[in-house]
Amino acid sequence: MTAVREIEFRDALREAMSEEMRRDKRVFLLGEEVAQYNGAYKVSRGMLDEFGPRRIIDTPISESGFAGLAIGAAMMGLKPVVEFMSWSFSLVAADPILNNAPKMLYMSGGQFGCPVVFRGNDGAGGQLGSTHSWCVEGLYSNVPGVKIAIPSNPYDAKGLLKSSIRGDDPVFFLESERMLGNKGHVPEEEYVIPFGQAKVLREGTDCTVASWGRPVHFCMDAAEELAKQGISCEVIDLRTVRPLDIGTVVRSVRKTSTCVVVDQSWSFGSPGSELASQVHRHCFDDLDNYVHRVHTADVPTPYATNLEQDYLPNARRIAEAIRSATYNL
Amino acid sequence: MPINVTMPRLSDTMEQGTVVKWHVKVGDKVTSGQVIADIETDKATMEQAVFDDGLIARLVCPEGKQVKVGEVIAVLAEEGESMDSAAVAPAAAGPASSPPAARPAAQPAASAGSPAPAREIVADVEAVEVGERMRVSPVARRMAEEMGVDLAQVKGSGPGGRVIKRDIVLAAENRSSAARPAAAPAQGIVAAGPSAVSGAPAGGALVPGVQSVEVPVSSMRGVIARRLVESKQGIPHYQVSMRFSMDALMALRTQLNEQLSAMEVKLSVNDFIIRACALAMARHPFFNASWAGDRILLHQQVNVGVAIALPEEKGGGLVVGVVRDAHLKSLRQISGEVRALGEKARTKGLSMEEMSGATFTISNLGMFGVDNFTAIINPPNSAILACGAAIEQPVVRNHQLAVGWEMSATLSLDHRVIDGAMAAKYLQGLKQFVETPTMLLV
Repeated sequence: MTAVREIEFRDALREAMSEEMRRDKRVFLLGEEVAQYNGAYKVSRGMLDEFGPRRIIDTPISESGFAGLAIGAAMMGLKPVVEFMSWSFSLVAADPILNNAPKMLYMSGGQFGCPVVFRGNDGAGGQLGSTHSWCVEGLYSNVPGVKIAIPSNPYDAKGLLKSSIRGDDPVFFLESERMLGNKGHVPEEEYVIPFGQAKVLREGTDCTVASWGRPVHFCMDAAEELAKQGISCEVIDLRTVRPLDIGTVVRSVRKTSTCVVVDQSWSFGSPGSELASQVHRHCFDDLDNYVHRVHTADVPTPYATNLEQDYLPNARRIAEAIRSATYNL
Repeated sequence: MPINVTMPRLSDTMEQGTVVKWHVKVGDKVTSGQVIADIETDKATMEQAVFDDGLIARLVCPEGKQVKVGEVIAVLAEEGESMDSAAVAPAAAGPASSPPAARPAAQPAASAGSPAPAREIVADVEAVEVGERMRVSPVARRMAEEMGVDLAQVKGSGPGGRVIKRDIVLAAENRSSAARPAAAPAQGIVAAGPSAVSGAPAGGALVPGVQSVEVPVSSMRGVIARRLVESKQGIPHYQVSMRFSMDALMALRTQLNEQLSAMEVKLSVNDFIIRACALAMARHPFFNASWAGDRILLHQQVNVGVAIALPEEKGGGLVVGVVRDAHLKSLRQISGEVRALGEKARTKGLSMEEMSGATFTISNLGMFGVDNFTAIINPPNSAILACGAAIEQPVVRNHQLAVGWEMSATLSLDHRVIDGAMAAKYLQGLKQFVETPTMLLV
């Protein structure tokens, strides 16, 4: 092996798509600005040159239209990758992506699968205001029939996107524009990461901290800070919330007896509340405190930068929750 | 600060108790050492005193209600403290700090008028719940059970006095100095014969179509039920019986009782059996032993427990009175002690001291004319002897039919400690003492 190769999150996404397109002629990419503009966030840079306009397709500003088109193509045997400039905009495509894609296999009695990947930026991008800062996993994880990946780093992003494209089911792939420039190790060699496999990022004995996506980094910051105060955190990156690798979390909580769930969606009826509920069920006799949860505040996303900072899960709030959960207030 | 008066642990086995009677009422001034209530435990009714001066602010536990050890039964207001505030103050130890959950998260967009009703509701709920119940985190409860830590003795360091994991770890560490035997189940109560224990559905008819009268289960009955189920289910019981010729013993007993009647000595058959059992231990130490999981403890003292039936009018039931160092005591001493224990058990009730520490137990139903029966082991003993009556009956002596006194006795044994052949040898040893009773006089 050569020296450690570090690439940006966006490059990891592009490598995943390009490799899968080379591998499988049925795979194609469509979305706003993905072709001639090289992607609104430059994720698809150079892909038009390599694969041509039949496979890298610029769409009109019509999420409902191109999402529906992709679903039809998937039903007929192609493997579309749909880029939403922001998952906030997927709300106008709610009927195709929530009402058609996840139910197609079921409603057609197994005749039509729907192997489509929807991907794009999720969560607060930074002063984008209430309507453009959605964490759609809060809503969408409620729907049976979809898979949802929320990677936190380039390595996981590439491996999970490749297995998303290869799979037979609809996948919601949630990225963050705040992480697209993050660099991380991604090997030259090919690899895929299966869904439903959490990763223990940091081992510890006092508190299990479970998260996914961007807040994982804040969890690591909080764990680092608390280690100086003698509180040992075990940080788990779930990587996918559907399916949810509850086993890894349970094994950890049985060791630590306390758990903090960090989820950047709203708290009411969220992946975080689901995870907490499952931990309470499976670890009832192991818990020393109720499962603490850190979410975005239960308000629409504020625009002002200081308020937005406080609104999101951040290292300070996570550390506070861990101290409370471990009775170290 | 209001002072909590909690249900005390008055015996090793006590898990809950009942305030039978309050001697004070709200508003009464009490001084340290003053008796404020009668508490019925699993064994006896005892007086409960307070350890502080103050005013009775609240009687939390009504008379007749059974509560767990450690639960608050009354609240005292200290000198100069308002009784009202003491009465409403959370009874659980520790400051009434708001639990972390109830703390609102950052609310940056307050001006957006976003309501957070859910949080406020939670706050209300928690405020109400902080109260008399002992709060223990699930893992702490589990660890306490596994490590044998008495929760009632642990002071909780969590919010609202919740006992948490670290409190148990600390308690276990502190306790390790006071080394206790590994297996020290409660002592003092044993039952013989059918103990009629069953888990009946509450209020439900067990026998369809038949009307039944419900009899409430007393503390003692509850303990008998629990401990004997534990014993019968947990100990691999088996029984070995032997018949003894009692001619010599009956003759000796008659003779001694006649000679000693002026001194008010009246030896019972059972007194002889107690002494014989105790003396036989010297050569059979495993009958005076306890199974302790990974080892067997051979006790260096022979304390013979004697099952004592309590009179019906006292609610029935039975207790075990203990004759300590029975191997070192004369027949006369044993006889006197057993009689005193029996009388006290039937009238005032035995103290903890008098009921604990048995290393071997004897249950005798001979006085009721019972031929033979089997008993359930009194943990942590490894054997119990069930004695029937000495009966005058046809016997074969020297190939001739004759009339003689015979008695049947049955040992129930813990097979983890004692094997069948060992039991047979112990009974042979016993037989030797019983059939040559003059050996019991020296």
